[in-house]
Order: sequence, then structure tokens, then C-alpha cells
Amino acid sequence: MAGCLVAAFAATIARTASAHHGFAAFDTSSQRQITGTVKEFQWTNPHTWVWVDVTNDKGGVDTWGFEGMSPNFLGRRGWSRKTLQPGDKITVTYFGMKNGSKGGEFLSCKLPNGQEMRMFGASPTEDN
Amino acid sequence: MIAVLGCVLFASAAIAQDKPFRRPAPTAADWAALAKLPDFTGVWEIPMGGPATRVTNPAIGIPPMRPTPLVLTPAYQAKKQDLIAHADEDNQSANCLPPGMPGIMAQPYPMEFLLTPGQVTIVIEAYSMVRHIYTDGRPLPDDPDPNFFGTSVGHWEGDTLVVQSVGFTTQTEIEPHVPHSDKMRILEKFKLLDPDTMSIETTVTDPEALASPYTSNRILKRHRSWTIAEYICEQNNRNYVDQNGKAGVNLSLPKDNSPAK
Repeated sequence: MAGCLVAAFAATIARTASAHHGFAAFDTSSQRQITGTVKEFQWTNPHTWVWVDVTNDKGGVDTWGFEGMSPNFLGRRGWSRKTLQPGDKITVTYFGMKNGSKGGEFLSCKLPNGQEMRMFGASPTEDN
Repeated sequence: MIAVLGCVLFASAAIAQDKPFRRPAPTAADWAALAKLPDFTGVWEIPMGGPATRVTNPAIGIPPMRPTPLVLTPAYQAKKQDLIAHADEDNQSANCLPPGMPGIMAQPYPMEFLLTPGQVTIVIEAYSMVRHIYTDGRPLPDDPDPNFFGTSVGHWEGDTLVVQSVGFTTQTEIEPHVPHSDKMRILEKFKLLDPDTMSIETTVTDPEALASPYTSNRILKRHRSWTIAEYICEQNNRNYVDQNGKAGVNLSLPKDNSPAK
């Protein structure tokens, strides 16, 4: 399934001009996962943003920031500004930052109810 | 008072311009004539794969999806190599600068076509942009101000909207790292392949930059339940490419959880 996501994403870029910006800052060579609690979900352009509080190995908490697709795109594909709420425990699949900072490009996440929410590759929910 | 009058007279003598084209008020017949045109109205988007890309009437066929080769003249091939050699880590869209034509027509966001007497207006959701295509019989301008989308004049040939655009700033690119001259012209042909599928054939010519015309095709699907959403790129832009060409992302959440300042 992870392979499908990346392939769908690559096909998108071949067909359309890249939107807003490229992926220069992200390490797209491998997908990573992290589990934490949603601190804030920003339903804004040019990108949605999710901040997730993650317990570190010192018993403290780090806030990780993940960049997502535009709400314009996501809102037509099953997302809303209420999809992620502060306090939700989620597992995020992402491309990490090349510089190692805490965050990256949001690819998908597993919600508290077990549902998987994807960024790319989802067809519009309305056929017409 | 005489000095002011003198200034006014001097000004109108110095600037010898053509009179601007003045579109007459639309008549009832003009509005009725729109109903006879192919139905372009509504919100359209380039589909990203899956069943939506299939044209429902196989007899009409799908235009070739692969563009013709992009062949630069030797001078512009050299410019391209230089751009690549000195490229920033990301392009200026990271700083919310939209692409010009033709790239603005290839964004993964919808576009809305509006038909009014003498004009086709394309509202482009990406970066909240607008293109005006004048179908009122005015000529292409001789010496337009160069800008991102050019000046566009169109006419109907049967069911096809044929559009010529001129006057492009060399600030924009045809494709990433592919520059063009101020002589670039773009020809577009818009037509319906089936009731909710539009094809756009785009041909870029440039006697200084391109050795041959560059033609690409795109399909748009109509979504009658969609509306164009707002897209203010600087609302919460956390990406940047700086003066040294380094790309970056601002990951930090402000203390009050607000969007980036």
C-alpha cells in the first residue's frame, strides 16, 4: 500500500506541474512512521499542517510538524478541517526532513478509529 | 490654468496610442448566442488517474498525452544548462510566486470557465489567478506589456475555442529551467470530447528559444458539484527558498497556535 501511494504521487507530478513547491527539503528515499498526539491541525493554504506531540526517549515530549496537501485538494477527497482534533492519538507516515529536524511531509495517518487517511492518490469523493 | 492646459496638450501629443478597443454593451441577442456555444461553463480539473481519465465516448478518442519534443535553439539550450548549473534548491513557487503560462494551466487544482458576451474567463484556483480571453473581435495587441499570462484573444471555429496569447515576460519559464524569449506565443485549442470532458491542446512557439513548436495535450473533467475555493498562498506559507537558493521549511508552531507570520 505504501508503494501504491508513492507511485500515485509520482504519476501526479508527471502529469501536472508541481503545485506550490518541490520536495527539496524532504528525504523522499524512504517513508517513516511516528505515533503521537495531535497538538494542532491547521486547515490552511498553501498547505495543511499537523503538529504532533511525541514522547521522546528521555521521557519528555517533542512537537513534530508535518506538512500536508492544500485543504482545497483534501476537502474534495474525504478530509475536513475537523478530521484531526487536538488530543487525537495518530500514527503518521511521512517523508522526513533532510536536515534531521522533527517533522516532514505528511503522507498518511491512522486515526483513533483505525481509519487510514491519505494525502495523495485519493480520487475525488464526488464523481460529478 | 494655462500651464495645466499646456501639460495636457503636450501629454496627448507625446503618447500616440491606438484608441483602446471598446466593447459595446451586450444585446439580448449576444446573451442568447452564448446558449448556442458548447457548454464550457463550470468547474473543471485535470484528473489524476483512475476511471475519471477515461473519455466516455471511445469514438471521439483521447488526444496523445505525450507532448511533442521540447527542442531548444542552441542559444537557449545554453541558457537552460546555465539555469540548471546555478539552480536554487527549489523554485520561486515556494515563495508563492505563481508560474506563468503555460504552467498555470497544469496545476493540480480546478479551473472555472465563465462565458459572457465577448469574453471567456478562466478562474484558476491555484494561487487565485484569472485569465481573460477576449472573443469580441478585437485584434491581438501589437506591443503588449509583457506579463505572466500574456494577452489572449480567441474565436470559435465550430465547436473549438481557438486562443492566441502574446506578450510574455521573460521572468517566467516554459517548463522548469526552460526559459523563453519575449517573442513566445501560445496557441490553445479548447474543445469538448464528451459532455463532461474537455481537451486543451497547447502549442508554444518561440522563434528565438524553440527550434520547433512544443505541443502538449491535457484533459479536464467537469465537476458540477464543485466550487472554486479560495487559495491565498501567503495565508500560512512555511516554505521558502532564500537569496542563496537554499530551500527550507519552518516547522515551528507559534505559541498561540496561529498560522505562520
